[in-house]
Amino acid sequence: MISPDLKKQFLAIVDPARWLDEKEPLFCYAYDAFVEESMPDAVIFPETTEEVSQILALASAHKIPVTGRGAGTSVCGAPVPVRHGLVVCFSKMDRIIEVNTKDRYVIVEPGVVNADLQAALAPDGFFFPPDPGSMNMSTIGGNIAQNAGGPRCLKYGVTLDYILSLEVVLASGKVITFGSKNIKDVTGYKLAALFCGSEGTLGLVTRAILKVVPVPETVKTIMATFKDLDDTANAVTDIIGSGILPAAMELMDRLTLNAIEDKAGLGLDREAAGTLLIEVDGVAEACDKQIRQISEKLHAHHAVHIQEAGSAADRERLWTARRSAYGVFAKLAPDIISEDVTVPVSRVPEMVRRIVQITDKYNLRVGVLAHAGDGNMHPMIPADKSNAEEWERVMAVFDEIFRAAADLDGTLSGEHGIGLAKAKYLPLVMDPGTIEFMKTIKQAVDPDGILNPGKFV
Amino acid sequence: MTDQPIQNCGKCGLCLSVCPVYQIIKQEQASPRARLQLIKAFEKKDLTASPLLKDLVSQCLMCGACKVVCPSGINHYARFMDMREQLARSLPEPPAIRSLVYLLAKEYRLRMGAGLARIGRGLTPAALEKAYKIGTIPVSRFPKMNRRPLRSTLPRVSFARGNPRGRVIYFTGCATNYMFADTGMATVHILTQLGYEVVIPESQTCCGIPMMFHGARDRAVVNMTTNLTAIQKAMGENEGLRPKNARDAAAENWDAVIVDCTTCGAALKDEYPALMNIPAGSSHAAALTRKILPGMPGLIARKTRDILSFLHDHIDDLAAAMTSDIPKHKVIYHAPCHSKNSFNSLAKVQALLTALPCFDYIPVPDETTCCGGGGTFFYEYPDISKKMMAKKLAGARTSGADFWLTDCPVCRINLHGNLSEKDNRIVVHPVTLISQGLGK
Ligand SMILES: Cc1cc2nc3c(=O)[nH]c(=O)nc-3n(C[C@H](O)[C@H](O)[C@H](O)COP(=O)(O)OP(=O)(O)OC[C@H]3O[C@@H](n4cnc5c(N)ncnc54)[C@H](O)[C@@H]3O)c2cc1C
Ligand code: SF4
Ligand code: SF4
Repeated sequence: MISPDLKKQFLAIVDPARWLDEKEPLFCYAYDAFVEESMPDAVIFPETTEEVSQILALASAHKIPVTGRGAGTSVCGAPVPVRHGLVVCFSKMDRIIEVNTKDRYVIVEPGVVNADLQAALAPDGFFFPPDPGSMNMSTIGGNIAQNAGGPRCLKYGVTLDYILSLEVVLASGKVITFGSKNIKDVTGYKLAALFCGSEGTLGLVTRAILKVVPVPETVKTIMATFKDLDDTANAVTDIIGSGILPAAMELMDRLTLNAIEDKAGLGLDREAAGTLLIEVDGVAEACDKQIRQISEKLHAHHAVHIQEAGSAADRERLWTARRSAYGVFAKLAPDIISEDVTVPVSRVPEMVRRIVQITDKYNLRVGVLAHAGDGNMHPMIPADKSNAEEWERVMAVFDEIFRAAADLDGTLSGEHGIGLAKAKYLPLVMDPGTIEFMKTIKQAVDPDGILNPGKFV
Repeated sequence: MTDQPIQNCGKCGLCLSVCPVYQIIKQEQASPRARLQLIKAFEKKDLTASPLLKDLVSQCLMCGACKVVCPSGINHYARFMDMREQLARSLPEPPAIRSLVYLLAKEYRLRMGAGLARIGRGLTPAALEKAYKIGTIPVSRFPKMNRRPLRSTLPRVSFARGNPRGRVIYFTGCATNYMFADTGMATVHILTQLGYEVVIPESQTCCGIPMMFHGARDRAVVNMTTNLTAIQKAMGENEGLRPKNARDAAAENWDAVIVDCTTCGAALKDEYPALMNIPAGSSHAAALTRKILPGMPGLIARKTRDILSFLHDHIDDLAAAMTSDIPKHKVIYHAPCHSKNSFNSLAKVQALLTALPCFDYIPVPDETTCCGGGGTFFYEYPDISKKMMAKKLAGARTSGADFWLTDCPVCRINLHGNLSEKDNRIVVHPVTLISQGLGK
């Protein structure tokens, strides 16, 4: 609870338009894209680092839980304020401070929407590689806190790989800045790695310097179809294993493909048991060569059909198919739940088989979708949450899928994070000593545990 | 309507990226997803009707952008409409809105209101007109009422010129009838030039959407029934048929039901068929089934076309009918929400503007962003509306265009209202210039 007196002190930091504590709006900060909800006591919208610092100092002094929030698109409950308290929402701290393509960096505030950053870079022929499916609404602050990735991260790497420097406000209100504008910088601990992916449990990011890269000269896109899902997955392992590095490599199974075709009628092959959408980019000659090499591999794994996107519109059509998968599945039942376990790429065929076996066993439908090139699986299960029995089966499926991934040297999450969704599975992939070490860090940085309490540490 | 009532909002947040109100306010409670959350809380009785709840639900342009993008297939439009209705029951609308709804509910009141407004505009001193604003718009920038309602100046049937090509019904809507006669004259002129016989149903009235927005569904249903009856009658009568054969005649003999306003169009296309789902037993249901042939609303819905998409079907004929020496007007376009989201007409309109010799079309970057008009939104939420308009105005001012084209009367009022005299830019429906380009 926030007392009237304390409220007055918060209102000395921000104007009343940036403070919400009535029941109606608070309902709207109880959720993200995961299924659990919990309401905060108040929401505050800072506009400067100074304000964030004052807010945290005050919260610290009164031991008020503080949960950061960007756009609330996390799919693991990360920004859900399970211990109530204060939500610090960064949506109004959204300035792009500097675009410097000469030195290849940008300086942004945390509330900048990923797609807005891309739009600001486009005229200069540059881009910011992390491309989560939520890029049209998720914020850079959220991307950093979740170490977000996306299809093209296969080649380009994830958010952490693009952080040059961060300004972070610690629980006490103290502001620290680490890193520099230099791509090479080995002065001291690589602190970006500590805060990136910490899901707001160690500090609130108020500014970031990010590395940006030039848009490649050429992009080539192909779609291959297979009669057999095993062949599809084996092709992935073989291509990546032979040293070719496409920009993206997306796998879809028959159920997914047919569901998309039902809705969108894009002319996809309904008979195919699996498809791969593969994209390479770079210099034109290199792209041609890569496509040739990839096609050979695809044929070796009995691809029945390979089509190359002949035009930008064609490429758009293929990606539309991939991108509409989630939406199509979401309509098959009142609710949808999607996970993102990840395995080494050589284990992709086995993992795909197990996902299908497990869902069969529990008599549920599953759409197998994957950023296959980096082993990042996205099984999607349409179901009805209000049907308790069915929902229990869904939970059981994910339980087994997590175990299967761990069994195959995989991990719980490739991009979505742990949050509330997977906290209890952490011991599956992390030894007690490491969990202890994370707790030690948390304790040292946030001794009162006010930052995003109730999550994985 | 394609709503699947069982579908839950998965809270994916995709709708945040398209909601014009969220984009300005940048706070979750102003997002489509939040409105659904509030509706859910209200249904579960976690929230009761309160002025704040009503405000959060109504801070919405009903533009439909969220519905288009939603992967879960939520029909926001229908859910918001239901909620508005429920809230209006316990929390009445402010007097200004109530009188608007009252006015729109009956054709004769509208006629009288329009007459009074004409006299009002005639009597009000110019200084006063400049000083006073309704919402964001100075009174002096509101449109003048037509000298006479459009429909009283046009014949019921306008015959095709040259080779007859077909036959259309023209639903004029009230804005064209009372304020923007130029749009109506142009529409009829172009259609007849193209070889269509144009029939204007008598006794049509306001489409009912404004009432729906303000929770007065009962009144909306009455208006909708009136309009369906009028269209049905026009379709049947013209064939000299008894009403019971009207449906077959309608299916075969009418090429389209034309609207020049995509909001009216969205009503005919989406809301009218849904009407048939109102609970049996109510007096409205009885009136409906007595007056309207089964299947008729669906048929009318399928035939409903916005004028610009319809003209796009005839793009070559239109271009051929214009001589190359006709004046080329520098134009920019503003895409109304319902044209984009209900009729998906943007690409067609752009093609028309590019192909027809009467236009020198200048694409501006924000031609598809919402202007913040939204029915009465500019009146209820002037601050938000003003911010939405600001960027559009800047774009329009630097474009060098003489005309700002748009196919929605509320957008037209809003764009014109926010421009000043100095701007010297004329806001009209594209048909006005097309009609001029075709000549007599
Ligand atoms: C349709 C859809 C597709 C998605 N696709 C992908 C995908 O392809 N790849 C992927 O990686 N993720 C994906 N996600 C998940 C999600 O979008 C990402 O995790 C995203 O980075 C979250 O950003 P956000 O701004 O919404 O943050 P929020 O959800 O608001 O917050 C996420 C976490 O970040 C913390 N946080 C927010 N701002 C700050 C800050 N300034 N400082 C410190 N902590 C902060 C919060 O406390 C919370 O713990 C997807 C989600 C959806 C709904
Ligand atoms: S897009 Fe649809 S499912 Fe996603 S948050 Fe909005 S309303 Fe919910
Ligand atoms: S209808 Fe338009 S304004 Fe209303 S919530 Fe949806 S996108 Fe936002």
